[in-house]
Amino acid sequence: MKRVAVIFGGQSTEHDVSIVTALGSVIRPLELTKLYQIEPIYISKDGTWYCDDRLKDIAVYQSGEIDDILTKLKPISLDFTNGLAIIKSSPFAGRKTYLKIDLVFPAMHGTLGEDGSLMGLLDMANVPYVGCGLRASVLAMDKILSKEVALNHDIPVTKYVATTKFELELKPDEIIKNINTMLKFPLFVKPAHLGSSIGISRVKDNQELTNALEVAAHFDQNILIEEEVANLIEVTLPIIGNEELTPGLLERPLNHEASFFDFETKYMGGSKKGKGSKSGSQGYSEIPAKLPKELTDLALNLGLKVYQTFDLKGIARVDMLIDSKKSKVYFNEINPLPGSLYSHNFNQAGISNVELVKKLVNYAQENYKYLKSLNRTFNSNYLRQR
Amino acid sequence: MLKNILNSYLIFYSPRRFAKLIAYMLQASEYDLKAYLKWFWSTQDFSKVQVRKDLNLTRIARINKTFLALICEIQILVGLGLMILYFTGHLMAGWGYGLGLIIIYPVLWSQLIVVPIFFARLLIIYPKQKRAINRSAQIFKNFNGLKIAIVGSYGKTSMKELLDAVLRTKFKVASTAGNQNVATSHAVFANKLQGNEEILIIEFGEGQPGDVAKFSKTVLPDRAIITGLSPAHLDKYKTLNKAAEDIFSVDHYVKHNKILVNAESSYIKPYCKKAYQLYDRSGTLGWKVGAVQVLNNGLKFELSKKQQTLKIKSNLLGRHQIGPISAVIALALELGLEPEPILGALKTFKPYQHRMEPYQLNGAYIIDDTYNGNIEGIKAGCDLLRELKANRKIYITPGLVDQGPENEAVHLRIGSYIADAQPDIVILMQNSVTNFIQKGLEKAHFKGKVEIIDDPLFFYNNLKEIVAKGDLVLMQNDWPDNYR
Repeated sequence: MKRVAVIFGGQSTEHDVSIVTALGSVIRPLELTKLYQIEPIYISKDGTWYCDDRLKDIAVYQSGEIDDILTKLKPISLDFTNGLAIIKSSPFAGRKTYLKIDLVFPAMHGTLGEDGSLMGLLDMANVPYVGCGLRASVLAMDKILSKEVALNHDIPVTKYVATTKFELELKPDEIIKNINTMLKFPLFVKPAHLGSSIGISRVKDNQELTNALEVAAHFDQNILIEEEVANLIEVTLPIIGNEELTPGLLERPLNHEASFFDFETKYMGGSKKGKGSKSGSQGYSEIPAKLPKELTDLALNLGLKVYQTFDLKGIARVDMLIDSKKSKVYFNEINPLPGSLYSHNFNQAGISNVELVKKLVNYAQENYKYLKSLNRTFNSNYLRQR
Repeated sequence: MLKNILNSYLIFYSPRRFAKLIAYMLQASEYDLKAYLKWFWSTQDFSKVQVRKDLNLTRIARINKTFLALICEIQILVGLGLMILYFTGHLMAGWGYGLGLIIIYPVLWSQLIVVPIFFARLLIIYPKQKRAINRSAQIFKNFNGLKIAIVGSYGKTSMKELLDAVLRTKFKVASTAGNQNVATSHAVFANKLQGNEEILIIEFGEGQPGDVAKFSKTVLPDRAIITGLSPAHLDKYKTLNKAAEDIFSVDHYVKHNKILVNAESSYIKPYCKKAYQLYDRSGTLGWKVGAVQVLNNGLKFELSKKQQTLKIKSNLLGRHQIGPISAVIALALELGLEPEPILGALKTFKPYQHRMEPYQLNGAYIIDDTYNGNIEGIKAGCDLLRELKANRKIYITPGLVDQGPENEAVHLRIGSYIADAQPDIVILMQNSVTNFIQKGLEKAHFKGKVEIIDDPLFFYNNLKEIVAKGDLVLMQNDWPDNYR
């Protein structure tokens, strides 16, 4: 039986969302396949790594018992000899248990997890893992870089301006003036690397813009300012696969309670994009989106093009904005590890949770095999030359 | 392994947990002392006995639990007392006796508990029940309206509920509750009658030879509906013939032309007498069935007689329901109901819980037939699964219980029925009949995937993880804790 490590938690604002994804949508279905032995690896908010079967139970997080468990548990360490292994310290006479990991299923959202950091570590460890690789994750999680890559590949994006915290501190008036010249209100101000709508503001004038820039700069070095799409229909498309792609259903969030969704609206009061509870995302979404066929096809094709252009692997979700009057579809952003694997959407597309995780594990193995076939070293006689 | 063994026997040495466990085992065995003792001695891991349900704290269960906990605690204290006497030098054998008393208490009281129950039943419960049954016989005898008995190996509760729903549109009807179908529940039912009822519908259960004859003698029904015959409760009846004799003994009390029999039941034909009225999917009492549509969530068909055609729409699932629905309509018309209220009642009538009950889960259609415990019902379910369209068909069952000497043959046949339905996946709950079903599947050259589940509760609780939109799942029967 293959040993699969599911890594979740982490030092990210999306720590709790990651726990829900791991325990609800990854570990349980993987266990039901009876094909894998699961090692739950939980990264606490202070960055310590733990592995214990008790960490698979959502109740320990909900009750707060997790703090007691962590104080009693010994952190694990990693070993990169011939792949990845975790080393658990036994409470008996300092005995160590060495567990070789055959595959990693990252269930981390946000910084140091979804943004490529974890993928870099796993690449170094030479272990197959589920989902997008380092480069795709870095690009996907950088709202500014992803827009620039998209533009270079003729993928339509909304008009935007990028700035930095440093520039804002140095010449704030010039930045505001530049934004006024380049873009038309209303605008969205976003930290470039954060997910879950954290630090995002919708602004209608310069006063709001100044405040929003200050808020965004509090969270990130890089800030994106972009125009709002008129006659907006937001849609999102989850996709799985490496070369042969299987799209889920085009989904339309239907929350009209706020003009856009901040963290509270998304995960506490009802989900827009489903990283929170499944019922939330299902309750506030239209699956499949009831749009004219022409618009649906445009969005589906754009979603698949984005997935291929950014070399996304395993699973990702592409968010798009539609100007319904002009019938124009814009690429908005990529989520390289959609919350709860967007299983509610795939369920509606006829893929069960168990099938979904089985497919993702197979894609990971397929991608690893492909990457292993590439030659990464080269024997030169450079050092022997005098 | 060691942890499991420890867990299993630790329950024994916690008096309160032990008391609860034994009270549960007695309750789940329905206080059938032989069945309880058989279960106790065949159990290997007592930590896994109480999985599906919890102890229902009825008066009897509470008495058993409290008595056991108390007597075990007293025995432990006496044991400890004897050990103290040994240490203080007052009783040389105190150590051995004391330890013996403590070690032996679970085995001792798990067996001795049957003694008070046996005598309580013999001296208190049985005479009390007998008096109540005699009283009910008088009530039934004096009843001036119509008494309809529902008899058969399966389909009784659904037939009773359907008939009740339809007849209720015109008459004051009283029916036995749920699947309460033994003499004591009939007695309770009779005692609760208001006195203004026009029709009584009484379900007759069959658990052991002579049951139906006994109920018939008490109730004295005017009409009877025999819903089907199949190998059920063969642990008591031993042969299907004996079960049939009991079921058909109702005809000693009801005029033969007032007995409606489900002719679709494959085992029933040899027992049918000329004067019986028959019903099946082609019609009944001169009514002919046509234009049948079997849907994921119900049925549509037409019922015609001479110039009259009724368009039937029902939430009941499966072609096998056409016969019972037709029988109810024909009987209701004979009793003077107009077609309109009959059709209205049929339209709103929902399947009884866990009996071909459809619901949706993660976009998939689930047909919950987990109360189905007979081979004919299994066949009907498999026929339905074959007939309906789906992206992926999943069939789930643990098999049947109480099949007596027919056990292997019945489960081989179930394997072939499942194979005929051509599901993509068959999920079997690991137990003593799994091998027979697998053999049946192999013999029928089943090509799909077969999965064996060793933890049914975990599986059922996580069913949503394995299904998605477009799936059709049929779950037939479910085994309680006292079957393995």
